[in-house]
Amino acid sequence: MGDAMAGADRIRRKLLREAVHENLAIMNGQHPARRRMRREQVKRWVRRGLLLLIPVVFGGTLVLVGRATGLDPSWVWGPGGRDRPAPGKAEVVPLVEPRANVDRADGQLGAARRFGPPARLASAALPLPVRTVILDPGHGGHDFGTIGPGNLAEKEIALDIAFRLRNLLIDQGFAVLMTRERDEAVPLGQRAAFANANAGDLFMSIHVNWIPNQRTRGIETYYLGPTDDPFLTQLAAAENRETGYSFSDFKRLLDGIYTDIRRDESRRLAEAVNSKLFQSLASSNRRLVDRGVKQAPFVVLIATEMPAVLAEVSCLSHQDEAKLLADTTYRHLIARSLFAGIISYARTENAGKGSQLND
Amino acid sequence: MTDNNEVLFVGIDLGTSRSAISASNGQRCAVDSYVGWPVDMVARKILRRSVLVGKEALDNRSMLDLRRPLERGLLKEGSERDADAVRQLLSHLLGLVGVGEEGRSGVKVRAVVGVPAEALRVSKQQLRNVMKGLVDGLLIVSEPFAVAYAVDALLHALIVDIGAGTTDLCVMNGRYPTEGDQRTLLNAGDWVDEQLSKLIQAHHAEATISPFMVREWKERAAFVGKAKGPVIVSAPVKGKPTQLDITEEMRTACEGLVPPLAETMIDLIAKVDPEYQEKVRNNVILAGGSTGIAGIDRALQEALKEIGGGRVQIVKDPVFVGSDGSLAIATDADDVDWEKLSG
Repeated sequence: MGDAMAGADRIRRKLLREAVHENLAIMNGQHPARRRMRREQVKRWVRRGLLLLIPVVFGGTLVLVGRATGLDPSWVWGPGGRDRPAPGKAEVVPLVEPRANVDRADGQLGAARRFGPPARLASAALPLPVRTVILDPGHGGHDFGTIGPGNLAEKEIALDIAFRLRNLLIDQGFAVLMTRERDEAVPLGQRAAFANANAGDLFMSIHVNWIPNQRTRGIETYYLGPTDDPFLTQLAAAENRETGYSFSDFKRLLDGIYTDIRRDESRRLAEAVNSKLFQSLASSNRRLVDRGVKQAPFVVLIATEMPAVLAEVSCLSHQDEAKLLADTTYRHLIARSLFAGIISYARTENAGKGSQLND
Repeated sequence: MTDNNEVLFVGIDLGTSRSAISASNGQRCAVDSYVGWPVDMVARKILRRSVLVGKEALDNRSMLDLRRPLERGLLKEGSERDADAVRQLLSHLLGLVGVGEEGRSGVKVRAVVGVPAEALRVSKQQLRNVMKGLVDGLLIVSEPFAVAYAVDALLHALIVDIGAGTTDLCVMNGRYPTEGDQRTLLNAGDWVDEQLSKLIQAHHAEATISPFMVREWKERAAFVGKAKGPVIVSAPVKGKPTQLDITEEMRTACEGLVPPLAETMIDLIAKVDPEYQEKVRNNVILAGGSTGIAGIDRALQEALKEIGGGRVQIVKDPVFVGSDGSLAIATDADDVDWEKLSG
């Protein structure tokens, strides 16, 4: 009885401490720690580690057994050990030079090094499934993005939706990384570098629109490309404000990208996402307008090396949509729609490649 | 610890429809979350007040610019008047326990306020700004956490707080609830009012009804399952008071709450460590004003049969359980923590 009371008292004290910490974090402009997610991440990494350990232990055991029994280890690795293909199998010559891990892990975007002269590849040459998704909640820290009625900030909404989307994707078996997990300002170049360094298969930037004509509402999804639309030029300029790139970096990036294969993939991804967004949100937002799939030169789309889209998931400048955005259910619906878009795209891309995506 | 003679701890449940305050001096009060300003000089002269709060505001609504400033349990967006209304409401609540803006006379006020489970950070910050000057220290907690604290259900419990603006659900796992442990639904008391209003208008098109009448009928006769008797109300039809039977409309509107709540409960329970799911299923606690809907506990308990059954209980004092829990948190928090929270 006494133990139970002491236990209950301990829990009370612990919870109180955590409540105070959360409040202090808010007062100091930080996002509260997400203990549960961290724990889940640790578990995931432990599981991955164990999976990696199995082939290593298995291989090592075979070599040791080979040595102990005097057998040539080439029956495992083929003649000459692991560098040669197994007998009877054709040697695989890579179509493209593999990307060096050291380049990806450096965290810096060496624009000149990463983007060579334009050369179009056929997508059939890269029959690779979608496994790692990079989510990019727009803005953060001192950069609030757009601000709606009641000081509802784009940076908050984008982060909230990204967390919801991350959970949905993880449940489906995707590896998910986020360019920011708290209320902090992350330069656009660094976001793209992060996506590249972590070898994302797909990049999704989440934003909320602000349109000067406050009677306009709706969703739109961007992929990389040039635009003559003055509004889109202005929008791209606003989103690209804090890039850290020089003009020549920018030009080189654009020259490399506009003929890139991933532009087709990005377009397909944008179409899938936009279509699911509109289909799902229209049920809660009857007058929702499908502003369509568009092209614009946003920096996060230029500098990433994987299919990339930027979704404007609603308009904070429209009174009704701002109200909806303040609603948890609607934000969750947005996350589900983006998820459905990604799944639809991944299913098409993975078709015939043996991937098993659940419904 | 500072001497309690110099410090007054208060727990506040800031509700969309009704707000409650519990103070360490033993006082407890609840008010309707309405604030109104006289519309013109005449109204001001009649009412002899520059602002009215609670039932008084509701009763004199024809002469007031009446606001219900808390939408979904949080500061409504958009206007400074709504922010001012929240401040007036809080000031009024504090005044009821003796520490309003006037008459604090050196007493330090430390407040814990409950907000909906999934409240955005920015909304919490807004609340903090509004309360500046009203209290000396402020701790904002999630409403279901305050309820769990009040009824000592911090481990292996599911709290379902059915308010007017939101229903907050939260699994208590012996840690401060994270995003994954909580859900906020808009299916709550106001939602029932809306459904009821639509159904009545569909079936009795000629009757003239107002949101206040619908709310009053719901508070008097809400039920799910089997009706105890017919629900008969009076509403004007072409100016003539007429008796209307709204039994089926009431049932349909109230029962509309059950599926989303049950689905979310099951979803949250399914995410609990399998070892403890049964304990949580058997420790579902309902709180909030909308627990007044007769039979809601049985209906939710029935829904739990889908996952092996469970036990759903309604707290003894739904009106004050949130503010009492907040008060308990306030008194339990260390002086050192309060110092940090006084910024």
